[in-house]
Amino acid sequence: MPLKELFERDWQELESEGILFSSLEKLVAWGRSNSLWPATFGLACCAIEMMSATDGRNDLARFGSEVFRASPRQADVMIVAGRLSKKMAPIMRRVYDQMPDPKWVISMGACASSGGMFNNYAIVQNVDSVVPVDIFVPGCPPRPEALIYAVMQLQKKVRGEAFDQLGNQLPMVDAWTR
Amino acid sequence: MDKVSKIETYTTGPASVQTDPARLDPIDALIATLGLSAEDAAEPTAVVGIDKLESVALRLRQAGFMLLDVVGIDYSAYVQPRPERLSVLYNVYHPYDHRRLFLRVWLAMGTALPSLYGVWKSANYLEREVYDLLGVVFTDHPDLRKILTPDDLEGHPLLKDFPIDETPTLFRDGRFLDPAAFRAGMTGQATGLSGWRGSLRRGEGKGDIEPPVMPAGGPK
Amino acid sequence: MSLKERQPKSKQPESIQQESSLPERVGSLTANSGALMHTEIMSLNVGPQHPSTHGVLRLVVDMDGEFVIKVTPHMGYLHTGFEKTFEHRTYQQGVTYAPRTDYLHSFGHELAWVLGVEKLMQADVPERATTVRVILHELGRISSHLVFLGTALMDLGAITLFFYCFREKEAVQDLFEEVCGYRMNQGYFRVGGLSRDIPDDWAGHVQTFCDTFDKHVDEYASMFATNPIFLDRATGVGVITAEAAIDLGLTGPNLRASGVPLDHRKATPYCDYDSYEFNVPTSQKGDSHARFLLRLEELRESAKIIRQALKRLKPGPVKDPNRKISLPPRPELESSMEAVIHHFKLVTEGFHPPLGEVYVPVETARGEVGYYIISDGGSMPYRVKIRAPSFVNLQALEYACVGGQFADLITVLATIDPVLGDVDR
Repeated sequence: MPLKELFERDWQELESEGILFSSLEKLVAWGRSNSLWPATFGLACCAIEMMSATDGRNDLARFGSEVFRASPRQADVMIVAGRLSKKMAPIMRRVYDQMPDPKWVISMGACASSGGMFNNYAIVQNVDSVVPVDIFVPGCPPRPEALIYAVMQLQKKVRGEAFDQLGNQLPMVDAWTR
Repeated sequence: MDKVSKIETYTTGPASVQTDPARLDPIDALIATLGLSAEDAAEPTAVVGIDKLESVALRLRQAGFMLLDVVGIDYSAYVQPRPERLSVLYNVYHPYDHRRLFLRVWLAMGTALPSLYGVWKSANYLEREVYDLLGVVFTDHPDLRKILTPDDLEGHPLLKDFPIDETPTLFRDGRFLDPAAFRAGMTGQATGLSGWRGSLRRGEGKGDIEPPVMPAGGPK
Repeated sequence: MSLKERQPKSKQPESIQQESSLPERVGSLTANSGALMHTEIMSLNVGPQHPSTHGVLRLVVDMDGEFVIKVTPHMGYLHTGFEKTFEHRTYQQGVTYAPRTDYLHSFGHELAWVLGVEKLMQADVPERATTVRVILHELGRISSHLVFLGTALMDLGAITLFFYCFREKEAVQDLFEEVCGYRMNQGYFRVGGLSRDIPDDWAGHVQTFCDTFDKHVDEYASMFATNPIFLDRATGVGVITAEAAIDLGLTGPNLRASGVPLDHRKATPYCDYDSYEFNVPTSQKGDSHARFLLRLEELRESAKIIRQALKRLKPGPVKDPNRKISLPPRPELESSMEAVIHHFKLVTEGFHPPLGEVYVPVETARGEVGYYIISDGGSMPYRVKIRAPSFVNLQALEYACVGGQFADLITVLATIDPVLGDVDR
């Protein structure tokens, strides 16, 4: 098809022939959402369920997130899997700072989200006080299905299709500008 | 799987592993041989003086015992009087004839213990842990540094006067719950949210609750 | 270069500090090149965020060229304050904390805690509860060793086995979920028995799993045991002699791979383990290869124990009938005031064990676990000390890696199989 036709013909007619139109921002967001590479930040029990999420049965690869990167410089999303001790908190912040923008954080499990059952001198009571968290996953540890659901929710957020509790659409670039 | 079958197996129970009958004296006799006094406890425990600790450990090492654990205990809040505030327990075990012995050392705060690293290499981390969590100093330890807690944490968490440092639970409407007060009713050591304390709950008695009496034949 | 040449002899850590006692190969390297170029020891930081450290272990490795001359582990990045927290929870609440220390073989820690408190309380555990505990304890060992096989071989570059091991691990976790609703960190045991009886068809599902499991173990072995790359990377790497293992306080598979047949299921039997027939695999070699295959053998033995336990599973109570320890059954609460009082006391306050100090050793997938519990007569323990096998076993790393290449360090760390929750507590 000559390029000229793209500008002259009706766009609905073109879409019926398999040519889709989008804004660049939407296209980039769609691409990003389907290749979220997590940084391996396994801390405790949840790390085992995080590994289970990539195994044959659960297969996180279906959602484009199976490529766990050991280097934060190659990762998009940090899955904080497990209890975060006060000794580990500065290191986690550093790993987060090393990740290139745009970046997102999933706080996996009760301990990372709220300190869980460990309310004492050693454990950070909420990962949100160290890094900004996009998705909290409850459970001790959450099932792999719960983590996959969290990744799907994050994909929605990245694509700008996420809504808050009042039904307002969350801004797509919310996570990008941090 | 010829590779797998190269693993030899041993099928009999521990009884057949016994070697020298002279070494198989029961644990009481062992304590007597070492010249120690047995403690009246559920687990075989012998009290050792600080000065004799190294020589006793060396004799146990030569008899084939291994050091499995070092337990530091702060007895300052215990219900019964104890000789000193701190106690360090050495959990030694014989891997072939399966005897276990706890060596107990009493020491006051600030007293140093001789390191057993020269006797058992396993004392390395175990003593560092006791140093980190209870502040017991081991002289001649090759590498006495903090091991578990962060470097900027002051104090020794397992001492009884170190607070557990709980964060209050905050509710959406602004209320918050202090975990210690919430739990106080269980301990019987402080008035909780309820203001009741121990046996005062039932409206009787004024003093502390007596600890329950040990039934005959049970652990001490 | 043949394998024998590549492996310098392991040395004791403290002897390394003198320049003259460096491994021979390192010495010759520096001696030949010293006149021409300046060489120096390089420190390499591994972790705490590193995929091969099995969690948040941090190692500072001093290297001379390719050869490791000193390893300094730094732990505590997962320090959770378990022992302090135990002092502020009732004994029954402690059941939920114990599994989270060693989250791979969580039933082992749970069992150690429960047996310790039962010794303190002199509880009378029914036979059915003991048998179910044995089944779950061994299933936990299977699950833990499967994770070991999968991740340790992944560290060596063999990623395929991970998916096969996790296939069976999912099956084991399904069994856990069926019986107590949780895939990991179960909290199913109670002081005096179990929290509830097992589902009716559960024993059948376990039987089905065991029947096919031996075939799967053969399958794993066929995938790596004869692989030349695996043999090259594991044979003769990280040798720990029996004397050194005793000196370093090793327990569990690491000790047995060095030739000391210590297994607390045989040595100090708990849960009627003395009435089961099973072998304790040992090896005299003490290298990483032996540690791999020993755990593979233990998988078969665990399945053997489970099959025997299933045969003796008879209907009966699963809780100590003593109302001072276990909760009364729900229907009783509607008819008996006494049951309501017991229920109220147990739930709000818990039970009060007599004064005393107890220790019960349990053989988990990593070695001897024991809880040294001190009771002051209150409803919460006065002091709890966890004997963590991973913590002590980790000392072997400093011993076994020295003189090897850096890649061997990864092999040794993987085969020592520490769980950082257990190390740091």
